[in-house]
Amino acid sequence: MNPTLRTALRGATLPALVLGAWWAVFHFGWTDTKLFVPPSEVWDTAVRLTANGYLWTSLQASLGRFLAGFVIGAVTGTAVGTALGLSRLFEKVVAPSLHTVKQVSLLAWIPLISVWFGLGDPAKIAFLSLAAFFPVALNTFEGIRSVPRELIEVARVFAFSRTQLLRRVVLPAALPSIFTGIYLGLLYAWLATLGAEYLLTSGSGIGNLLTDGREHFWMDQVLLGVVIVGLVGFVINLVATRLEARSLAWRGKSTAQF
Amino acid sequence: MAHAGTLEIRNLHKQYQVKGEPLPVLQDISLSIRPGEFVSIVGTSGCGKSTLLRLVIGLEADYKGEILLDGKRIVGTSLDRGIVFQEHRLFPWLDVRHNVAIGLLNAPGTEASKAKAVQEHIDLVGLKGFETAYPHQLSGGMSQRVAIARALVNRPEVLLLDEPFGALDALTRGHLQAELERIWRTEGITAILVTHDVEEAVYLGDRVVVMQPRPGRIKRIVDVPLPRTRDRGTAKFAAIKDDVLGEFGEAPRPALVSLPPAPRALADWHFAW
Amino acid sequence: MAPLVSAATLPSPPVAPVVPDTKVPSPWRRRGVDLLLSWPFPLSVLLLWQLGAQFEWIPAQILPAPLVVAQTFADLWATGELQDHLLISLGRVLYGFSLGTGLGLLLGVSMGLSPLVKDYLYPTFRLFAQVPSLGWLPLLMMVVGIDEALKIILISKAAFVPVTMNTYNGLRNVPTSLIEVSKVFRFTRWQLLRKVVFPAAFPTLWNGIRYGLTHAWLALVAVELLASSEGLGYLIVYGRQLFQLDVVLTAVVVVGAVGFTLDKVLAVIESRLLRWRRDAF
Repeated sequence: MNPTLRTALRGATLPALVLGAWWAVFHFGWTDTKLFVPPSEVWDTAVRLTANGYLWTSLQASLGRFLAGFVIGAVTGTAVGTALGLSRLFEKVVAPSLHTVKQVSLLAWIPLISVWFGLGDPAKIAFLSLAAFFPVALNTFEGIRSVPRELIEVARVFAFSRTQLLRRVVLPAALPSIFTGIYLGLLYAWLATLGAEYLLTSGSGIGNLLTDGREHFWMDQVLLGVVIVGLVGFVINLVATRLEARSLAWRGKSTAQF
Repeated sequence: MAHAGTLEIRNLHKQYQVKGEPLPVLQDISLSIRPGEFVSIVGTSGCGKSTLLRLVIGLEADYKGEILLDGKRIVGTSLDRGIVFQEHRLFPWLDVRHNVAIGLLNAPGTEASKAKAVQEHIDLVGLKGFETAYPHQLSGGMSQRVAIARALVNRPEVLLLDEPFGALDALTRGHLQAELERIWRTEGITAILVTHDVEEAVYLGDRVVVMQPRPGRIKRIVDVPLPRTRDRGTAKFAAIKDDVLGEFGEAPRPALVSLPPAPRALADWHFAW
Repeated sequence: MAPLVSAATLPSPPVAPVVPDTKVPSPWRRRGVDLLLSWPFPLSVLLLWQLGAQFEWIPAQILPAPLVVAQTFADLWATGELQDHLLISLGRVLYGFSLGTGLGLLLGVSMGLSPLVKDYLYPTFRLFAQVPSLGWLPLLMMVVGIDEALKIILISKAAFVPVTMNTYNGLRNVPTSLIEVSKVFRFTRWQLLRKVVFPAAFPTLWNGIRYGLTHAWLALVAVELLASSEGLGYLIVYGRQLFQLDVVLTAVVVVGAVGFTLDKVLAVIESRLLRWRRDAF
């Protein structure tokens, strides 16, 4: 048997067994707790909620906040990260404070933010921006700092102006790190979206869909929510890695330097 | 043809501060390089030869003495002076053509004339057809050739080479040495090569400057009056090479160990067969 | 044949004038200056904050003065309340972290060493890891309720994923060059594992453990904010409900300090263990 096929089959064994057991439990009526819900019901719920628009509204609300918060956080993060990278003085004055504030687990900020920004979207978006800000700022800073001195010397030999140096050497060289920061920023912002929706329950969103299902003991809705959360995470991952591969194609496979 | 520059180095002193103590790196270096000349500088590590190049290219300053190009003091870096480093230092995000073109970023001229110059130099180093390749796709030797093209593309008056082939394997090195010589003759510029490979220095240089370390000083300058292109196998070549090598204290100087031939008695031949 | 000597420029007798360059400060002084530079920013923020609260530019309910927060901190410490909550949180995180790390190491090692195990388990693991801990929370709350089990399970999951990933990757990425050396010296499988594979994989592995702790701490705070009646997270929510932001801020500071300390401890252990290894490279 073709080895790739064999590997794929092996990998599918466990999920298949789990799905099969799940279906069997329900089909043979081995349990009757409300918690146990057949796979088919999850699918039905998905169809139903799509039909009445609830699914779409929740998804839209969550993604809208997610993007808004991420963009604000990423833009501020890039700006601050660049300033930190380019100015040693700025770094020395501001970086220690940033590192300290970063230590606080993200979600701990929500209650404070809810006092300052209320319980609605502004608070959530503020929180999301914070979540995206730190990884973007720190990775941008790191990327700019790690531009190899050797390449900067080449720019000096060819009499580059400061703008040319930044645009044509520092920025491209820092781009891989900046991408890492953006990727992490996306992930944290998505986590933060969920967290914010759990804690600040006004409005709609995937987090609210999940909380709703939980409070009513609707297992099918909760399972659906879990699947959606996973899917969104997967799509983010996919989009980010594709973008990165395309823009950074010049890296190639070798680890050879300059 | 590029205009070949005259380089004058007069009484150059350079020192660094290490832990508060001054560390002299170059001491009273004086060198006159004629236009179009190829000068090789050899020395072991620590003799300051790389520092010398970095001072001439303008990456380092803060020295005592004078460095003059065509009679004018050099100030910082300039497109008049080009350099090839030991690492190729190509920008990994640009292809070959754009890497060479980046040398012309601040050079005068139209887009068309620049594009023409870029293509000419890519052809000059023998990389025609590789214009759209990226550095990660090139071998070490090819990358270094791109670096040479980039250094030459704005026709500097002086080309500095800091152990350009040190990171390459011996076969590629030999090949590129011949290439470099051909390029130098075609462009007609002044060239200064720093190397620790004595054979390379003798092969390429009109003169070989021997430096000694701690602090860096010129020990001796050896002429290489051999016709180009040189044959490494000739006795003359070997003799000059040995002469230079002798400066590094490995082989005893012939003058010291030559003994007068002993007179041979007939009896010695008796048992020779 | 006489050696060819040109008009050599013989060096003049060494009379190098020693001109003192600009003073370069010693590393200690530089570190002192750095330390000094890092204070103005936070101090001025604190000062503005204090003034703002004192002159009532900001109502106390939005942001109590730093001195008030400090006082509350002292009070909570004195009554022992702070320590109680702190210890509960710490206990949870350490328990969950150990559980998650143990399982993670187990899975990571078996997948890393056995391609068969990897074939069967890796895809499922990836699927599982796709959903972040917060996504699992409502489901778990339904199935397990809101007592200790919930917290421990969630915290373990949070630590489990990065530990497994890093362990697996660390073992997978042992340079083949090193493995070939051990083949030449005819190491037994056990020797190979003990002397080559695990030491080589260790830095990545330890990194995974550090991530695991960070995520575990994050998960702890999350679950204590949402479904707990004790612990630092609960303290934050409690303070928030009563609009006692000084309590909230105290708890936030402690959360940050603990997170920092936990990571620092692991970092120090890492540098101790790896010090002699790093030197080799």
